Amino acid sequence: MSGFLQQVVNGLSIGSVYALMAVGYSLVYSIMNFSNFAHGGVIMIGAYIGYFCLTLLNVPFFVAFLLSAIGSGLLAVSMERVVYRPLRKRNAPFLYFIISAMGASIFLENIVIASPIGPTFRTYPAIFSTTPIMLGNIALGRIDLLMFVISTVSLAALIYIIEKTKIGLSIRATSYNIKGSTLMGVNVDMVIFIIFAMGGILAGLAGMLFGMKYTVYPQIGNITTKSFIAAVFGGLGSLQGAVVGSILLGLIETMVSGYFSSQYRDLIAFALLIFVLVAKPTGLMGKNTEDKA
Amino acid sequence: MRKKVLSLVSVLLILTMLLSACGGKTSAPAEETIKIGWIGSLTGDQAVWGTCESNTIKMLIEEVNAKGGILGKQVEGIYYDTKGDAAEAVNATKRLITQDGVVAILGPNASGQAISISAALEQYKVPDIATVATNPKVTVNDDGTVKGYNFRVCFIDPYQGAVAAGYAYDKLGLKNAAVLYDVASDYSQGFTEYFEKTFTEKGGKIVAKEGFKEGDVDFRPQLSKIKEANPDVILMPYYYKEVALSANQARELGIEATLMGGDGWPSDQLMTMAKDAIEGSYIVNHLDFNDPEVKPLQDAYKAKYNLSMELNGYMANDAFLLLQAAITAANSTDPVKITEALTQVSVEGVTGTIQLSEENHNPVGKQAAIVKIENGGYVFQEKYGVE
Repeated sequence: MSGFLQQVVNGLSIGSVYALMAVGYSLVYSIMNFSNFAHGGVIMIGAYIGYFCLTLLNVPFFVAFLLSAIGSGLLAVSMERVVYRPLRKRNAPFLYFIISAMGASIFLENIVIASPIGPTFRTYPAIFSTTPIMLGNIALGRIDLLMFVISTVSLAALIYIIEKTKIGLSIRATSYNIKGSTLMGVNVDMVIFIIFAMGGILAGLAGMLFGMKYTVYPQIGNITTKSFIAAVFGGLGSLQGAVVGSILLGLIETMVSGYFSSQYRDLIAFALLIFVLVAKPTGLMGKNTEDKA
Repeated sequence: MRKKVLSLVSVLLILTMLLSACGGKTSAPAEETIKIGWIGSLTGDQAVWGTCESNTIKMLIEEVNAKGGILGKQVEGIYYDTKGDAAEAVNATKRLITQDGVVAILGPNASGQAISISAALEQYKVPDIATVATNPKVTVNDDGTVKGYNFRVCFIDPYQGAVAAGYAYDKLGLKNAAVLYDVASDYSQGFTEYFEKTFTEKGGKIVAKEGFKEGDVDFRPQLSKIKEANPDVILMPYYYKEVALSANQARELGIEATLMGGDGWPSDQLMTMAKDAIEGSYIVNHLDFNDPEVKPLQDAYKAKYNLSMELNGYMANDAFLLLQAAITAANSTDPVKITEALTQVSVEGVTGTIQLSEENHNPVGKQAAIVKIENGGYVFQEKYGVE
């Protein structure tokens, strides 16, 4: 039984990182209807900012978190300006957005490799001891707890903004119908600026948490494949869906590795996802735009 | 304005692609030089090692050229990045042979890449000396016959696996072993297979065997399963990045078993990442880093690059010395004659005497060094070999 609970803890901790990354995809998709594959690049840059803040500037841990969130937010916003806004103004097809996003992601990865930072991976200084907190036989990693807390708090804050504030109202309005909300006086440029900023800030937090837990290297962004799939699983465009999808994916992966075989982890996890999507194409909690349009 | 920004972005994109494509090119070759190729990872997880290998060879070539070269000719090194990818390794090999006209190739360090280039070597009849490619199939075919143009200066996985098993059971008295291994790596599989074989033959028990795939960063599901099997020792036969992550995660889960590994472990990065988690672990390695005989090479490298030398540097050094001796003995730059000479010569390398067997192109009678990790350093225990 303790083995099972340990696997649940493992699954939740993996799932909470997926969740932080997955909401970035969902935010952008809910407004712009394309998958921002450059999100992985922003996460990677966030991880590097946090790393260099801690090692070169020697700032306290929470300041590094803040700087990493701000830096990634700025990066995401400027990418929107440079890469997506020109396409948007020309009403380019969605395919162009996706291709540009992929290009931006490859660009970010290679610019880090070509820069003095280089391709080697780096390790965050040890901030927390690896000695776990024991609850009976269940080990809780200190970084895992921190990840879980930060993920929960920031996701709760995000959902609060979307559901309860005026900005959130315009974001929701835009996600239902861009043209309609423009006519009603919503500043769509502003809405898009804000979703990229929020997505970028979360990406910075996710990147730094991921870097602390594992390590920092230019290909970190690849992990977002998993969180992208989690976002689709939960229902692209739905924040709650992204969170639920991520936690479920984390748990499924862990349970398959723990009770079946780690070699079949991805096979079984993704077969299950395909099954869900075939049965319910909008994902678990996806919005059905047909009804609302 | 918008167009300008767009074109700027596209120019930058193209530049990045060009930069990454041209990573290893050197200037136009002069006649009358002996060209030696090197392939290995200059980017990716194993970049630390590839960089060290190519640096070492650059340093050695400079030294040799300052002393008048080989056979009176200057030596030129050509270095290509395989990005840790077997297909890239084949492309790099073909380019080295057909476009650059090298007489022999050094590297790669990884077995998967070394195995994949065999056909190309066979086709163009140019020899390759792998550095740390320890899988048996690097130099022999599936039917046991030796490959004509693949050589190596390191011992092989069965030997590493057998040594680890023998040492754990006989010397450390550990009876229950668990294995966590990389299912996608030839190195990890070979190592695991022979560890299991020797360990169970001696009377030990494999209580858990769990796999993962290269690129994974979370091993807790597997480790939680291993924890329930309660082993005395966990074998971690893979590379330092995964070792650091999995060792840290094992300790986080409260696993206290002794950890053991092979030549994939030693790296400065490992110490920065997992110093506490791997304290008291044992590694099977190719040499003792504190051996006075390896000091001059270490110092020269440190002075030139201000980096500490990785294991791969020592192996690259021995591979280069062997090739130099073979070219001299063949008294020719003909790749086929060099190939013949490779099994005829014997050199004193930093990892021991290197004499390659004609039957399997592996070095004969190399013992392994057992190293224990204590206080963030490598403490040599003893030279240990098994039959």
